[in-house]
Amino acid sequence: MLKKIRITICIIAALLPVWVQAETDSTHLITLKATKLDSGQLAYQMVSHKIRDASGSETDITGRYAKEPSIPGPAIVMTEGDKAEVTLEHGIKDSDKPVSIHVHGVHYKIDSDGTMKMLNQVADEAAFPGKPYTYKWTAALGTAGTWPYHDHTFGNPMLGAEDKGLYGTLIVNPKSGQVPALIDGEIKQVDLKDIKRDFIVWMHETTFWGMEVNNIVNRQVPLWTNPTLGAREGELVRFHVIGLGTAFHTFHLHGHRWIQPGTSHILDTFNVGPIQRESFVIKAGEGVGPGEWHYHCHVLQHMQSGMMGAFRVVAAK
Amino acid sequence: MNTFKMTHIAGAIFVALSSLSINAKADNVSLDEAILSVPGLMPSATLEMTDIPGLWFKDPVDGDALVVIKPGQAVQIKMSEETRSQHTITSLLWPVGARDFPVDQEKPSDASITKGLNTPGLYVFTCKVHPYMFGAVIVDDPESKGLDIGSELELVTGVKVPADSDIAKKLLRTFFVVTTPSLWRDYREPEWKVNLPDIPLNIKGQTISLSALSMTMPNKLLTPKTPGVGEVWVNTQFEMIQGKKKPGTATRIDVATWKLVNKVKGIKEEMNHPHNMWPDNTYRHIYQTQWFDKRLLTFERASGKVTSNIEVGESPSHVLTRPEDDLLYVAINGGEQVVKMTGGATPSAIKSINTGPHTSPHGHFITDDGKYLVTPNALASSVSVIDLNSEVNTEIPTGGVIPIAVWGTPDGQRAYAANLLGTPPQLLSSLTVIDIPGKKKLSDINLAADYDPVSGAISGEAYGLLPIQTPVSPDGKYVLTANTLSASVTIVDTAAHKVIKSLACEPGCHGIHFGMKKGGGYYAYVGSKFANDLIIIDMDKLEVAGRVLLADSHDASIVAHNGMGGQGILPLPLVEHGHLKETLKLAGKKQLSADVEGWLQQLTKEQKGL
Repeated sequence: MLKKIRITICIIAALLPVWVQAETDSTHLITLKATKLDSGQLAYQMVSHKIRDASGSETDITGRYAKEPSIPGPAIVMTEGDKAEVTLEHGIKDSDKPVSIHVHGVHYKIDSDGTMKMLNQVADEAAFPGKPYTYKWTAALGTAGTWPYHDHTFGNPMLGAEDKGLYGTLIVNPKSGQVPALIDGEIKQVDLKDIKRDFIVWMHETTFWGMEVNNIVNRQVPLWTNPTLGAREGELVRFHVIGLGTAFHTFHLHGHRWIQPGTSHILDTFNVGPIQRESFVIKAGEGVGPGEWHYHCHVLQHMQSGMMGAFRVVAAK
Repeated sequence: MNTFKMTHIAGAIFVALSSLSINAKADNVSLDEAILSVPGLMPSATLEMTDIPGLWFKDPVDGDALVVIKPGQAVQIKMSEETRSQHTITSLLWPVGARDFPVDQEKPSDASITKGLNTPGLYVFTCKVHPYMFGAVIVDDPESKGLDIGSELELVTGVKVPADSDIAKKLLRTFFVVTTPSLWRDYREPEWKVNLPDIPLNIKGQTISLSALSMTMPNKLLTPKTPGVGEVWVNTQFEMIQGKKKPGTATRIDVATWKLVNKVKGIKEEMNHPHNMWPDNTYRHIYQTQWFDKRLLTFERASGKVTSNIEVGESPSHVLTRPEDDLLYVAINGGEQVVKMTGGATPSAIKSINTGPHTSPHGHFITDDGKYLVTPNALASSVSVIDLNSEVNTEIPTGGVIPIAVWGTPDGQRAYAANLLGTPPQLLSSLTVIDIPGKKKLSDINLAADYDPVSGAISGEAYGLLPIQTPVSPDGKYVLTANTLSASVTIVDTAAHKVIKSLACEPGCHGIHFGMKKGGGYYAYVGSKFANDLIIIDMDKLEVAGRVLLADSHDASIVAHNGMGGQGILPLPLVEHGHLKETLKLAGKKQLSADVEGWLQQLTKEQKGL
């Protein structure tokens, strides 16, 4: 019993910073590392993430992340108005090639572009072994949305190594604390604090690479390839779908509908090209109930290659 | 290699276990309730598909084409930015009983798969469009002694063979030769040594060293006693040239002297895997398909100067002209069409002729009268006969697996399609006989009737495994087939419809075509992917008359695989009478170069088809 109470307190405490973030403009002090997996693929890993509020006090949220590197990399969550200082360490064994982070969506000066001098004409904005590089981002008003970040230098200054796994997700929540969603048949503004789970799926070649940001316990769970995404019936959950590589996909989720952001169009499928992204909120199992709701790319060859998974909606408690 | 792979396994397990710590914590009630997602497979090893000769499935960790994992781990197979073409990820063989096998797709695409493997043993993957791309996964049970190959292996055709059978051992040795360029047969060396490392393998419970599959053979070049007429172009498809990332050249041999004349390298154009060639009627231009790419390259025969390099479709494989109008027909191996084009220095597409859904046409044939075009449809187990006047396509199901090349008789009545993986369930290796005007299948010819796949005993002449190019001799009497696994050329008598002779070829025996012998008669020229010689077969004797070198040791710009990758063969003058007739019409009219005029003058009446 005592254990349960303690956990509950922990959960409340963990939720608190989210409230604080929405009220003030925070600075995120982040250290990421680029590493090589034993499979030979590359991946980003969270080393440290602290949030400094307007008063200067710091909260360490590193414990929210998986301890190991993952594909996709750690999901960084900010709020419009926040700033970030992201330091990248080079941890790719047996390599001295530069590795970087190039972010989409948020504002940054040219020295935080994450490219080599041959492209940006300023500097080699990349980490070398023993020489980390720090990028400064501003999630200015108007940058709310789901954005990719990825390497832009490793192995090839034009391409980088996103194809080998060096990519991750940046979620910038709107300062208003609300996002539109189709709930119980109506388009409404829903409070971000009511969103229980963020499901991130990257569509790369013919594989989904997943990550859950669980807002109930504030934990990130790497879900690797074609995972089962789980939620309770009636929970508000947010999907973030991002394309990568060369192929064009059509994301489809069975049994659910949502609105195309910024419009009142109701969808159950949309197109995703390389680095194109979309996010939407649904109420799990709305109107259809619990079940193993299939999600997949609707391009036939991609389905044949196994580009699919389940959205498991379990009965509400 | 073994020690390295073992370290790799240990690392993979560590990662897998540490990621499990999340689940372990989920025993805590609250987390367990909160996290309802179930992670998918995390790859413990990767094979990346590339354009690099030998390393078409490349392990990014140690750069070979083999990964070792433990039962329950997963392998990821994916395209990489190092390939310019689309592929299928297809299992060629796997241990009997492996769950959810085979892996396959209907069409090539930019695919990636992550596959969990539980059954110990050998899994070989290929691409159905480019079927010598090989990658292997060994699922090794740490409790067993030696790397697990398995007890019984299943081939994609449904055939099951004991892992200690001759065919399984052949496939294993071939896998190592294909994926290890240092094991390719270099005729500049006195011997061909296939030295395989001492790695213990577990085959049917017995521990055998991989080195037991090692072998040594002498390399002997031989200049034919009788010269040929004209020249032979060979697509030395794997040759690496300074200043160019992608492999491949076209090598020219003067068959009057048997000397190497020059190589067309396409450096500026990044010529990529040149696979097959055909000339225009004047022999001024040579068209060349770039098989791991999307482009058709045109160069001047005399100077080697490239005049055009244009996109025609996914993985263009072969190119032919129609004799009467000199228009081009390019087989789009990664698609389902043949592209019809204007000829000359700068070909341009006219239209696309559909060959049927998911057909992937490869090595096609046009009848001497220009009436029909026949395509072997690699992914559809069919042959298409297209009436070139109406452009109506008739697709004929043949039951052959990966029909890869076809050629027809001079009278345009019969075509022979080589089925790379045979005609299941009976035939391990086969040719399908097609009635071209009747647009129907007539029969299958067993190319390996005299081979016992278990014991390896060869009791007669019919010994051809994994057949590729299969031209018909200009007199219509024989079909010569290059067999890549058995390293043999089979000779089928078209009257008896059976193999009457097999001749020794090279590892990766692939391209074959006929040319003119001086004084009358014909030679067959044979190129092999993993050797750098050109074999010359005397068609009057049905014997090997010579072996000449395709490598040029004096050319410092060749940085690797000198003379290797022999695939498309283009002997000039053409022996096909329909085409030759058009060239002969131009003779003495100042439309042909002096060397071509000279060649035509040397031809006998019979060679000219008069």
